[in-house]
Amino acid sequence: MKHSLIAIASVVTLHPVWSQKTTTPSKIEKKSIEKTATSSKINFVEYDLPNGLHVILHEDRSVPIVAVSIAYHVGSKNEKSNRTGFAHFFEHLLFEGSKNIGRGEYAKIVEKNGGTLNANTSQDRTYYYEILPSNQLELGLWMESERLLHARVDKTGIETQRQVVKEEKRQSNDNQPYGSFLATMCKKVFQNHPYSWIPIGDMEHLDAAQEEDYVNFYKDFYVPSNAVLSIAGDLSIESTKKLINNYFSSIPKGQAINLYRDFVNYSTADFKSKYGQEKSIFDTANFLQSKNPKAIELIKKFESTPILFNRTAIVPTPLKGQTIDTVYDNIQLPGVFVGYRFPEQNNKDFAAVQIMNSILSDGNSSRMNKSLVEKKQQAVASFSFGFPLEEPGLGIVASIGANGIDSKTILQSMDEEIERIQNELVSKEELEKVINQYENTFIETTSTVAGVAENLADNYMYRKNTNLINKQLEAYLSVTAEDVQRVAKKYFTKDARVILVYLPKQAN
Amino acid sequence: MKKLAIALTTTIAIQATTIAQIDRSIQPKPGAPTSINIKDSEVFTLENGITVIVSENHKIPKVSVQLILGASSIPEGKKTGVSSITGELLMSGTTNRTKDQLDREIDYIGAQLTTSSEHIGLDCLKKHLNKGLDLMTDVLYRPSFTEAEFDRIKKRKESDILSAKTEPNSMAANASARANFPNNHPFGEIETDETIKNITLDDVKMLHQAIFTPKGSYLVFVGDITKEEAMKIANEQFKSWKGGEKIERNNGDGYFSDARRVLFVNKPNAVQSTINVTFPMKIKLGDKNQLALSVLNNIIGGGSFGTRLFQNLREKHAYTYGCYSKAKITQEGSYFVASGSFRNEVTDSAITEILNELTNITNEYVTDEELANVKASMAGNFARSLEKPATLAEFAFRTIRYNLPNNYYKDYLKSLNAITKVELLLIAKQYLKVENCNIVVVGNESILDKIKKFDADGVIEKLDALGQTITERKAANITQNQLFENYLQKITSTSSIKDANKKLKKLTTLSQIVELTTPQIPVSILFTSIKKTPFSEFETFEIQGKIQGKSIFNGATGYEESYGQEKKILTTSQIEDKLKIGGIIPEINLLNNSSSMTLLGIESINGKDCFVVKYKSNESENYFYYDTQTYLKIKATKIEAEGEQSITYSDYKEVKGILFPQIISFSIGGLNLEGKLKSIEVNSKIEDSKFN
Repeated sequence: MKHSLIAIASVVTLHPVWSQKTTTPSKIEKKSIEKTATSSKINFVEYDLPNGLHVILHEDRSVPIVAVSIAYHVGSKNEKSNRTGFAHFFEHLLFEGSKNIGRGEYAKIVEKNGGTLNANTSQDRTYYYEILPSNQLELGLWMESERLLHARVDKTGIETQRQVVKEEKRQSNDNQPYGSFLATMCKKVFQNHPYSWIPIGDMEHLDAAQEEDYVNFYKDFYVPSNAVLSIAGDLSIESTKKLINNYFSSIPKGQAINLYRDFVNYSTADFKSKYGQEKSIFDTANFLQSKNPKAIELIKKFESTPILFNRTAIVPTPLKGQTIDTVYDNIQLPGVFVGYRFPEQNNKDFAAVQIMNSILSDGNSSRMNKSLVEKKQQAVASFSFGFPLEEPGLGIVASIGANGIDSKTILQSMDEEIERIQNELVSKEELEKVINQYENTFIETTSTVAGVAENLADNYMYRKNTNLINKQLEAYLSVTAEDVQRVAKKYFTKDARVILVYLPKQAN
Repeated sequence: MKKLAIALTTTIAIQATTIAQIDRSIQPKPGAPTSINIKDSEVFTLENGITVIVSENHKIPKVSVQLILGASSIPEGKKTGVSSITGELLMSGTTNRTKDQLDREIDYIGAQLTTSSEHIGLDCLKKHLNKGLDLMTDVLYRPSFTEAEFDRIKKRKESDILSAKTEPNSMAANASARANFPNNHPFGEIETDETIKNITLDDVKMLHQAIFTPKGSYLVFVGDITKEEAMKIANEQFKSWKGGEKIERNNGDGYFSDARRVLFVNKPNAVQSTINVTFPMKIKLGDKNQLALSVLNNIIGGGSFGTRLFQNLREKHAYTYGCYSKAKITQEGSYFVASGSFRNEVTDSAITEILNELTNITNEYVTDEELANVKASMAGNFARSLEKPATLAEFAFRTIRYNLPNNYYKDYLKSLNAITKVELLLIAKQYLKVENCNIVVVGNESILDKIKKFDADGVIEKLDALGQTITERKAANITQNQLFENYLQKITSTSSIKDANKKLKKLTTLSQIVELTTPQIPVSILFTSIKKTPFSEFETFEIQGKIQGKSIFNGATGYEESYGQEKKILTTSQIEDKLKIGGIIPEINLLNNSSSMTLLGIESINGKDCFVVKYKSNESENYFYYDTQTYLKIKATKIEAEGEQSITYSDYKEVKGILFPQIISFSIGGLNLEGKLKSIEVNSKIEDSKFN
């Protein structure tokens, strides 16, 4: 129960197999200095290409496989409020193929070469990966560089994927019990902020969008300076760097990438009218090395025009008071979902908030499980979690009620558990327990090369500190019982929350 | 060109000025082939019957210890849910630790300790292994099985059952399980409020005692542990565990329908239809066809993007977010299922396309390209699976438990490579019974008309969310007593109940012999039934002169006996049943006992409207069906803990002034036995000793 709800809650994916995580940032600084982190456990090498692509490499020879991933720093929060669902839509669209990869071939090529692939989208970023036999590393680089450089963003692909995404929404949200809770909650907790919609977005927006809207989204966000290439597995650092140089350094920098894309996609006349130059001045086979002085001049000009990303946090309208809404759904058991505003994941309070969530609902010994599920038997599942987001985000405390229990009773019991933490310090044993649980989880996430690649990318993208992979516990170790009490009072407040009560719809 | 480029580009430092020029239109070739190293796990046995498997992997400091029991699944019938409660109750405390203590200690070391009726598993950091084992063995040896925890779990299950009633995938899974594995197969048993209510704590304790035995069990160590350490643990903590013989049982292969069925589960307001196209398969793990069948499934729809189902239903038609197939092969029953969720409007188109894909693959060779692609993809999956430390241990476990050839996994890639399209077509024809599949649809009632055409007889079976058949009934327009009176008048060809009774009073004995045949059994079965008023009865089933089953009742005591099994004396409530609904013409009796019967209404049986009467006792549920036109009885169904049995009656003919059916057919378990009356005698002399 808990798992399926969290799956609805958190992610949208290309292929309904995996589940996901989320996020934080600031501005991508360009450094071409190469740093080699030598940490206790996970060693890696990272550097920037001149076009701004950040590269992270981790060598692990234990099994002959390699994970190739790119995280793009674009999620649903980068969407316009009348064009929601774009980031996730792209996650689908970018499997349609590229200039050099036929339509529908992208996934097939990976699979027939012994690999697997998928992608997922959160509010803050979009993540693509392949896991391949290690002798196919070059294939993975070629494919990801194609996705970055010239993906097919055209009518045919858009039409197919529009329908597929609608089915995804029906399957994951509309046809699932409580499946609308996150969208409803976000709308109420956030006003004037892109977190007010969820990544799957509004299907009417996808319908209303024109091909050009999609092309522009690609041009704005799918550029090297907005991406992190993270590779982990059975590889040699030196030869991998060479391959990366081949496939990614040739991707134009700044706005030159879009000049190049227009050169590829525009008709001669359209190109001329936009840029005032003939397409023929460029070298088709080697665009960046075009010899024509006018071409060189144009490329230089666009290379030096950076692509800007607005990373300024938007301040949502403050949440005031307590809102209660009832939703009648096709369910049998009542559900009570309480939404709070949580701090952003890089906030110093976030670790304490997460610890509070764990004390409330991680494991059978957690407080809400003991109280609501086992002792009072008012709920079949009871949980508390926060979305790790780049901007101040959302926390959910929720229960699915037991048969015949009134939603008010459930809410009251959930509130009692929060009040207990607000009024009495949590025990030393509970803090230690949570740290031990996290230690186990963190070690588990680094047990696969795919897990390492994603973890490295996240730490760089959201925290600008890739090496945090080796210090995952640190932030939690310094949290005290007083910290937990303080964040309980600050964020889990009745003065600013939204309560959604789900009740069974009367059958006809 | 590309190689040259690589040779020229030696350092990153020069990248800014000389960007390598690669030809992007050419897909890169793979590097030198990688080799896969499959290390043998260590295997040894303990005197008490445990097989220990150790697979070392020191990449991360974690250890997993799994104790896997050897018992077969046991049908749970009216107590379905007893094994799941047993599994859960194990985590509810020991004689040393209350549940709260146990939970706290497990969570404190960040470990996972899981239990079911098939295993106990521990997963923890190496540094916490001793503590973890302490908890694991406490749960294994000293579960407390308290009444309070038992009641709590039972109560929570009521809510679980309710919530499962709204989740489309579990609704579809329930219906599919019932369609493929009806009649007491453990796979087709679904927990309901009633089955949960029937379970007692003693049932749990008994089951626990029967299945938790070292004999035939496996203890699997994986991760940051050496063979010596594992051996020490096994010897110190598991060697002295004692228990009985392991339960071994053949639950059969499921129900193979002889025609295509559509089963519908209503999900009010559904915006999608969740579809399962499914059928059982006769194959077990370790079968020589197993790998080829899984190749075939991966071409059809086994989880990747390139499969026929995914490409057709999603990429070509955009009917769905995903459409997949699965060939589930187990020791205790195997099945195929193709599934997905599709918007209401395209429900029938989606079914058509799924059936097309299944039909095509049984008619034509797969393409060489497809086969090569799937082989490469499966080889890749195999390699990737080795990243998980548990994989090698699982190989060793499966090799032993399912009697796979010793080199099955070492030769896996070779065997995979050897599979041909000719072989696949044969496999497809052998296992994919597209014409006889079950099409399960969970969705909105508005789509019912669209899916009727897929059913062989056009009658859609309706199931509830838990896979139980829903019977739709109209209200009866006569009373129960009127019904019985009409029946009795009909069979006696009289026009008043008085006359009917007068005639029936003269009826003292009835002897019938029925010859039963079924395509599933090459020889015929003789069913003999002898009855004497008021309640004596004698019944046998015999094959080629050999009695296979016998049941005897003299009006006060009796017994049942099956070939090779112990005689079972009738229980008080079985006797009570016989006295209520037995006799030569049970309806005479039913009329007198009408307070324990319920006339449920009118329902359709094979297109015929019938009155339905229910009689429920402690032992069984019985349904009697009477034609609304003729009032003749056409069917009787008895549902007991051991299963369901139906008898259908037709072709009534007069013998000594009373109508008796000439066709008497049985449906027992998955077996349909068609019966023709061979001889009938009324009021011949039969000694009472026959019934003792």
